[in-house]
Amino acid sequence: MGVLGVAVPERFGGIGGDAVLIEALMEEVGAALVCGPFLSSAVFAAALLENLGDAEISAKLLPQMAAGSLIAAVAVQDAAAAGTQSGVAPKARQKASGWRIEGEVAYVIHADAAHILLVAAETSEGLRVFLVEGNAHGLARSPLSTFDKTLRLSRLRFDATPARRIEARRETTEALANALDLVRVALAGEQAGGARRVLDITVDYAKSRIQFGRPIGSFQAIKHMAADLLLEVESATSAAREAARLLSMGSASAGAAVSLAASACGDAFVKVTADAIQMHGGIAFTWDHDAHLYLRRARADAQLFGTPAFHREQYLRAMGA
Amino acid sequence: MTSQTPRGSQEALRDEVRAWLHANWPGRDREAPHGWLAKVVEGRWAVPRWPAVWMGRDLDDEHARIVESEFAAVGAPGAGQDRTNLWANTLLARGTDALKEKLVLPLLRGEVGMCLLYSEPGAGSDLASVRTRADRQGDHFRVNGQKVWTSFAATADYGMLIARTDWDAPKHKGIGFFFLPMKQPGVQVRPLRQITGESQFNEVFLTDAVCPQENLLGEATDGWGVLQTALAYERSAMGEAARGPRRGMGQSAPADDPLIALAREAGAMEDPVLRQEIAKVVILKRLNTLNATRAKADMRQGTSSSLMSLGKLAMSRILHEEARVRTLILGAESLLDGPDHPRADDTNFLTLNAYFTSIGGGTDQIQRNIIGERVLGLPKEPEIDRDVPFRAVRTS
Ligand SMILES: Cc1cc2nc3c(=O)[nH]c(=O)nc-3n(C[C@H](O)[C@H](O)[C@H](O)COP(=O)(O)OP(=O)(O)OC[C@H]3O[C@@H](n4cnc5c(N)ncnc54)[C@H](O)[C@@H]3O)c2cc1C
Repeated sequence: MGVLGVAVPERFGGIGGDAVLIEALMEEVGAALVCGPFLSSAVFAAALLENLGDAEISAKLLPQMAAGSLIAAVAVQDAAAAGTQSGVAPKARQKASGWRIEGEVAYVIHADAAHILLVAAETSEGLRVFLVEGNAHGLARSPLSTFDKTLRLSRLRFDATPARRIEARRETTEALANALDLVRVALAGEQAGGARRVLDITVDYAKSRIQFGRPIGSFQAIKHMAADLLLEVESATSAAREAARLLSMGSASAGAAVSLAASACGDAFVKVTADAIQMHGGIAFTWDHDAHLYLRRARADAQLFGTPAFHREQYLRAMGA
Repeated sequence: MTSQTPRGSQEALRDEVRAWLHANWPGRDREAPHGWLAKVVEGRWAVPRWPAVWMGRDLDDEHARIVESEFAAVGAPGAGQDRTNLWANTLLARGTDALKEKLVLPLLRGEVGMCLLYSEPGAGSDLASVRTRADRQGDHFRVNGQKVWTSFAATADYGMLIARTDWDAPKHKGIGFFFLPMKQPGVQVRPLRQITGESQFNEVFLTDAVCPQENLLGEATDGWGVLQTALAYERSAMGEAARGPRRGMGQSAPADDPLIALAREAGAMEDPVLRQEIAKVVILKRLNTLNATRAKADMRQGTSSSLMSLGKLAMSRILHEEARVRTLILGAESLLDGPDHPRADDTNFLTLNAYFTSIGGGTDQIQRNIIGERVLGLPKEPEIDRDVPFRAVRTS
């Protein structure tokens, strides 16, 4: 289970993996359609804690997260659904008894199973990240019913919820942006890996399914679709891996590469899974066939942390256009 | 009541339909009352193009359209079945007198549940390779085999069945077409769950099922020809209409296109990029309507129309595109589903159900082959198993 510590530094019991390792791991996650709070906890929350760099809190939480005994979720307004939500971040006030949070965050990923929450809230000095215990007083988690059944989403309400402020060694917005970059690269890896697996499954089927006395893959209609999808898959893989490489090097062009990957991989996964159903015919219209599970995941992934359209705009801006 | 409206008397016909609807239909966009279809049949509005002996009026297409448009204007169902009722049309065209006598009118009255027993695990696009067998035994056929993806089999009284009657003939020439009675011990129906979560289609297991001789349409080895008639009706219906969201939204005028309504509600009509996407879909729909209108005009002039074959392919594209644009409009909301999130639920359902049209009734790829070969006259794809005895053919 060492993978849960992939984004946790070695000094806290993790693997200390960089973006390249995380992206590679996520290709496997996507291929196998792994369910669970891996992206939200082991990648997003761990990266956010590491970027904030509160020595005491990191020393306490990160080893447990690496060991798999602690699951965290991140509640940041406009993060999971970047570009489409314009809600107001929760507010944090300091009382004699400590910090209290008020407000709401929607679309929080895998919050229902989380032992702790990292909540971004406005203070009089700007945005700060707070630690909220899962069983805190005044915290309500309402699960939302989702189209991708492997994705759990919640709406969180904070009503004078007690919280602890996490100290930050850099601007909170910068720490958040860094963590989000890593999350987006990870998600791109999941999308590229998922798309590749779906194409593999489909090509195998096209070789074995006989109609008109021959394998359906011998029809150019199917062959051409498969070739187009391979172009999608390879382009997605190139984009995801390049973004990972630049991010791990701390390159100045990492931001553009992340937006490129997020848009290309998001669209590719949807296209490949959608066409795969068509190429299978009736069998893929059944619940028991995996095809729709991949389509559901692809449609969900294309909305998380910014849609492809959002990232295309980010890409142009990063290019100075 | 006149059973024959002379050509040119369009206004008289319109008045007659309106008067009848005024007297019988409870009002604009109301639910159909019990026994409504029977009334429509009795009023001779269900199949006005048909001959009078089958409750028709011998109307030409132009006049029949008037009947349909008046029914549509008040939201009354049941008209235009001489175009859309796949079962009744196939039976009238190819059935025995005994079977027609027994089922044509009940079919028009919606009293008979029907299903299509075509596809098998090994025979989908390639329907001519069915392996379900129908063997003649005295005055009936005995049917054995397995069908799959059979929509509405669980509630059907009859299934339109294709089954092999001659194993030594080439595959297109040894098939029979039957109305198989479904409510009998030899017919076992097992529901399959669809990707939408619904269970409308089924596996059907046939074990010594009995089919009377009179339920055979055409000759026992001429079923392929009958099937072409039936498929043409099915595909043309799929090109004209598609199922809306699960919760049902009924028919709507182009002015309040449901996509535009959704975009307005979601505030997306302000976004110039989304406006373009929305416009493309709304225009695709309009173009399909215009194509259909021209196809009908061609038909009236007695020329066969290439436009007719395009409808189902066009509809498939429309449905997939509309679902995609709905998703763009909703953004992150499309992550959700269920009754608490009806807009997202509709959008996700429509995304999945679009495959009903792009796979069911012949896939888009097969439609394109048909258009290329039969309409454009492009050389046919070589068929390696066409003139071989079926026994020798390779199947899945
Ligand atoms: C919702 C739904 C409802 C249905 N209801 C019924 C029903 O009530 N009764 C019934 O009998 N059937 C029904 N069907 C079955 C439907 O008609 C078949 O699924 C369809 O004809 C395709 O056959 P198949 O699934 O075996 O796919 P296959 O024929 O195996 O096709 C697989 C892929 O190969 C492609 N392909 C096959 N041959 C060629 C070729 N020559 N050239 C190019 N590409 C090709 C197809 O386009 C497809 O992409 C239903 C299907 C669906 C999805």
